[in-house]
Formats: sequence, structure tokens, C-alpha cells
Amino acid sequence: MRILLSLIETLSVFVVLFYFYTRSRFFRPQKSEWLGRRGKLSLFVFCSALTMVGNYLGIWLEGGVVANTRAVGSMIAGIAGGPFLGVAVGVTASIHRLSFGGFTAVSGSMGTIFDGLLGGLVHLRRRNRPESLFDWRVAFAVTAFGEICHMGFVLLVSRPFSASVEAVKIIGPPMILTNSIGAALFMLVLRERERVVDQVAASSSAKALKVAQRTLRLLGNGLGNVALELAAIVRAETGVGAVAITDSETILAFDGLGADHHVPGNAIASSLTRQSIGGREVVFADGVHDHYHCSIVPDCPLDSVLIVPLVVDNAVVGTVQLFEPETRRFRNLNKSLGEGIAALLSSQLLMARYQEQKNLLTVSELKLLHAQVNPHFLFNALNTINAIIRSDPERARELLVHLSHFFRKNLKRSGELSTLAEELEHVGAYLEIEKARFQDRLTVETEVDPSLLGIRMPTFTLQPLIENALKHGLSTKLSHGTARIRARREDQQAVIEIEDDAGAYVERRGSGLGMRIVDKRLKAVLGESCGVDVTCVPDELTRVTVRMPAEGVLQ
Amino acid sequence: MIRALIVDDEVHAREELAALLSETGAVTVVGSAPDAIAGMRAIRQLRPEIVFLDVQMPAVNGFEMLSMMDDVDLPDVVFVTAHDEFAVRAFEEGALDYLLKPISRERLAKTLERAGRGTPPEARPAIAKAPITRIPCAERKAIKLVRVGDVESVRSTLAGVYLVCGSAEYATDLTLQTLEARAGLLRCHKQHLVNLDAIDQISLADNSAAAIRTRSGQTVPVSRRYLGQIRERLGL
Repeated sequence: MRILLSLIETLSVFVVLFYFYTRSRFFRPQKSEWLGRRGKLSLFVFCSALTMVGNYLGIWLEGGVVANTRAVGSMIAGIAGGPFLGVAVGVTASIHRLSFGGFTAVSGSMGTIFDGLLGGLVHLRRRNRPESLFDWRVAFAVTAFGEICHMGFVLLVSRPFSASVEAVKIIGPPMILTNSIGAALFMLVLRERERVVDQVAASSSAKALKVAQRTLRLLGNGLGNVALELAAIVRAETGVGAVAITDSETILAFDGLGADHHVPGNAIASSLTRQSIGGREVVFADGVHDHYHCSIVPDCPLDSVLIVPLVVDNAVVGTVQLFEPETRRFRNLNKSLGEGIAALLSSQLLMARYQEQKNLLTVSELKLLHAQVNPHFLFNALNTINAIIRSDPERARELLVHLSHFFRKNLKRSGELSTLAEELEHVGAYLEIEKARFQDRLTVETEVDPSLLGIRMPTFTLQPLIENALKHGLSTKLSHGTARIRARREDQQAVIEIEDDAGAYVERRGSGLGMRIVDKRLKAVLGESCGVDVTCVPDELTRVTVRMPAEGVLQ
Repeated sequence: MIRALIVDDEVHAREELAALLSETGAVTVVGSAPDAIAGMRAIRQLRPEIVFLDVQMPAVNGFEMLSMMDDVDLPDVVFVTAHDEFAVRAFEEGALDYLLKPISRERLAKTLERAGRGTPPEARPAIAKAPITRIPCAERKAIKLVRVGDVESVRSTLAGVYLVCGSAEYATDLTLQTLEARAGLLRCHKQHLVNLDAIDQISLADNSAAAIRTRSGQTVPVSRRYLGQIRERLGL
């Protein structure tokens, strides 16, 4: 009975050690992630120490028999770290035990190593089900079994046999009981710790979700318009000293301590912010090792800061900054929360951008649809052909073929690709009709490098540009006009120019969208280096230049 | 027989309409014009009873052309266009009818029937009150469109109406009356208009008349009759 109580006393020391271990930074509670090298090392050190403490606090009996709680250490190492770690701790503990001497030293060492191995086997068996591995009942049962075997080793190995029987009678029941309880207690402490971590995680995710909910509605309007409201929400939810939101150049909003001199609209002065934007990285000055130094006012109360860049489409569009004054510690919770909120804002901004692009796409699709039908052109063409039927039925027939050719191409899907030859054919059909309409008022000159005829580009790249040149350029001229279409190679690029000699671009209205759509589609398919440019010399010429790689869109 | 004029920038459209009109036997096509400026001259010279007017034409469109003419000069107007986006506006401008290209014989017959009923000029709704922002001027070979803001004054002589823009002068077919009513220019003399924004100085003479110096140093006479108005507009 005395032995039992003493061993339970030892256990209370263990529980204290468990507690500190599970709170230390060496300990990782996530069961789903098995221990890495560092975790295993720390577990080895901890469990080995545990076994040694067990040795020292053991109860010495006659003949060098020690009633102890050494088994807890190797068992925990085995269950949590696997057979290798369990045996390693067992061996360490055994060497330590052997140095004490006594006739149960060898059998006891064998028992401890066996416990480690046993725990390791259980680990292997239940590895896929961590829930059932870290169960106090399992730990209790396995340890009890291990200690019974331990007693078996004593009877088998230790001589004289009679003394062994005597020793087992005295130390057996208390050791089996206390070691099992010890292992079970560790699991319970572990569980408790996990629960706390879960709770903290739950409360911070709840906060993050709340911020998400409150900001979602705002960000559709873009960062600049809602930064003030956003900063206030983030500060209210995190409770930090101050919150700032910047774009890549200026402070958009500041809420909290130091608002008197951190004024929205000012350019970013902090080197930490520039570091965050430039390096696209989270910058954290914790107020202990690194400090935030306000560059505006020397006695600014803010001392620690977390700066998280807002990254949209691989570019930094701004930052979210959380500050704490000198008098308060920057809580880790707020650090992870700040990073989470920034990630959230980034994705919401991306979403808003996506939405905007989708809207533009809808507008451009509608515009395209209208262009496909092109009523003004259609009826004028019909009227022209109608007139020509009187004088020259053969010519009228030709024009009808051109017209149907044009509309057939027009009804192609906008997502498809066409070769330059096909695009020129489409444009050619259009120009044939327009030449018939305007007669001697319109001349078209084409000059195309034949080696470029095969390159592919999005369908409807040239037609809208030609149509603009006629509709907004040449048709406003009272006198004769000339349209020029050129395609040539220039520094690995295919350069296509559409030029009219009206020079009326500045007065063009509504031509912007058509050109913007062509530009966007080229950039989307071929990258940012491609696209459409306009140069205009008033009353002289308007030149629209399309640039793309000389090989066009590859299939 | 109704005397008709066709104004359209497309030769085939003019020919087609002329052919259709001749077929009716009720119309004589007295002329045709390829743009609004030639159209205005043709209307003044040929005095047609009806004009078939295309809406979309280079430099000056059909609506603008109407606003550049004095109401008394205007015959019945029938707008002819390929697309019906201007229909409402055409009737607001007091057009007699509105035809869509290609034109059918039946539809044209209805238009002529309407024209045949004959509306006395005074019963016609006033046409075209849109302000003029650019004034077409005939140069030797081309047509120049002068922005109203560039005009300092306008003078009318026996030879015609001239816009004075600094050292340059341009002859225009528009009348002083039209320019006064729709281009925002102010009458200062029986034969002169002035752009208020271009006035640099007004000097009063003994005979209670005055003279205006414009920003480029030109002098424009102010007659007694209009001095009051000018003073009022300048807030004097």
C-alpha cells in the first residue's frame, strides 16, 4: 500500500511535466500531422527524461528491487512516436537503470524496452486512426499488459527465483496499476490541450468569418471606396490598437491610435510597408525584437505592427496593417487573424475584379452580337444592291455573294481562331460592299507580307477595326478617302496596321469599346505584350496598330 | 407634278430613289446632292416642293442641315435612312414622313399621297431647333467646318455672308438670321453679328452708336438700335 501511494506521488510529478510539455513550443497537438524530425527528437528527450525521473523517484526495496513508473515514458514514446522511438527511449532508460544495479536490473530493462516496442506496435496498428490511438483506455490497457509481461521477465530472468517471486508479489500490482494510470493520464492531458487549441482556433475562425461576412458586401466597390469602413470593421473585430489599409502607394484608411498623424491620402512613409509591398511578404515587428518606428511623429504610441500584403493576380494592390501600442503585447491570435483577414480580402478583391471582368465580357458579347447583325450596314448594303440590280444585275449578284460571305463569317463564334488570310477575306467582303456603296469616294490599299497569311488570331480581330475606320473615319469625309491595310514582320512580331486618311479619331465616339474588346481578347490569348494602339494626326490620318507574336496563336 | 430634290451621299441610293420617283409619274426630280452643303444650295436654287433627305451623311448630317436653314426656305422633308433608330427624332423635327431603305413602291406612294394633300407652310410644325456648333463654309476646293467658338463676328455684304475668325474670313451659305437664332451669335448691327466671348472692348461714339473691338483687334460696328441689347447681355 505504501508503495502504491509513493508511486502515485511520482505520477503527480509526471502530470506536471506532461502539462508543461504539452504547452511548450516543442509540442504540436495536430494529430493528423505525424511528428517531424524535431518533434521526434523533443519527444525522445522528454520521454527519456521521464523514465529517468521514474528511476530516481522509484521505491528502493531489499536486494536492489525498484518499484518505479519508468514504463510510462517508453510507452508514451512508442504510442506517439512509433516502435523505433519507443525502443530508443526504452534502451536509454535501461542503460540508466542498469547503472543502479540490483538483481532485477536486467529483467526491468528488458521490460522497459518491451514496453516501448509494444507501444510502437500499437502506434503502427492504429496509425490511420489517430482518434483511437490517443485514447486513455488504449494507453491504460496496453501499459497494463506491458507491465504484466515486465513481471513475467522478472520471474523468467532474475535469480534466485524465490526472490523474484517475492519481489513480483510486492511491486507487481502497484507498478501495473500506476504505470497504466500514468500513461492514461498523459493521453487525458493531451486531449485537454487539443480541446483548448481547437477552441482558440474556433474562436479565431469565427472572427475571421464575421469579418468576411461584414466586408463581402463592401469590396465589390473596389478597395479605395470602402477602406475606411473596412479598417473600422477589422479593428472592431480584432480589438488591436490601430488598423491601416493602404494601396500600393498611399494610406487609404487609418483607424485607431495615432490617427491624428497617420492621415489617409498621405504617401506611404514606413520602410516596413515598402518592404512588404516590394517583397510581397508578411512583415511582422513584434515589439520585442523588432519595433515599429513611426516616421512621422517620434512619440507615436504604436510599437508593434503586422503588415500583410493584399495580392491580386500576383500583384500587390495594397496592405492591411495591424498595430499595437507599446503598452500591449501583439497577440499571436491577432497575427494569424490578421494574415487570415488579408488573405480573405485578397480573394474578395480578386472576386470583385472577376465580377467586373465578367460584366465587361457581357457588354462585349452584346456588342459583338449587335455587330454580327449590324443592321445599318445590312440595310444600306441591301439598298445599294437593290439599286444596282436595275443597271447591272451581274454586279448585283456578285455583291450578294459578298454580303452572304460577310454574314456567314460574322456568325462564327467569337471564341474561335482565324488565320490572317481568313480575317482578310472577311474584311475584303465587307470592303467590297462599302466600295460599292461609296463608289469613287473610297479606295482601299492592301499590302500584306504573304508569309504572315497563315498565322492565327482571335476571330473578329480586324473586322471591327476596319469598320471603325470607315464608320467613324472615312464616312465623315466629304472628299475622297483611302483606307490602308498593311501586315509585316518587325522584330519577331507581326504588325498589322489599319489606317484611314480622315484623322478623325479624336471625334470618334463609341469606337473605344470595339477597339478595347479586340485589345482585351488579344491580350487574353497572346499575353500582355500584344494588343492594339492608336495614333492620330488630326485631319491627316488615324492609324490603328495590332501587334502580336510573328507566329500568332499556336495550336 | 411634285418637284423633288434628293440629298444622299450614296450614288446608288440617289439613283434608286430617283428611278422609283419617276416611275410614279407624279414627281419630277429636279436635282440631287451628295452632301448636306450641296443640298442646302440646291434647295435655295431649285426651290423643290419636297426634299428626300438621308440622315447619315459626312460632315453635316440631315438633322444638322435642317437646323442650318431658315424655315421659310424649307420644303416638305422626308427622311430616308437604312435603320429606324432616328424615326422618333425625325418626327419631332417635323418631317413629313420617314422612309426606310430599301424603299418599296407602295410605301413611297403613301408618302406622295401625304405630300399631295399639301400642308400650308404656316401649319407645319417648326423644324429643327437644334443649336449649330459648326458652320459649313465653302472654300475653293473643300468644305470647311468652322467651330462657332472660333468665330469672332459675322458680316453680311451683297456678295454673301462671311465669318470673321481673326485674320481669316470664310464665306458661308447660312444667313445672319439662322446664325443669330441657332449659333448663339448676337446681332449688333443690321449687317453684323458678334460672338460675345470674342469681345475685347466697346467704345462709345458721339452719335450714340458704338464700335466693338474683338480679341484679334478687328472692329465691328454697333448700331444704336442694338446697343441696348448688347449692354444688357454684357450686364452693363
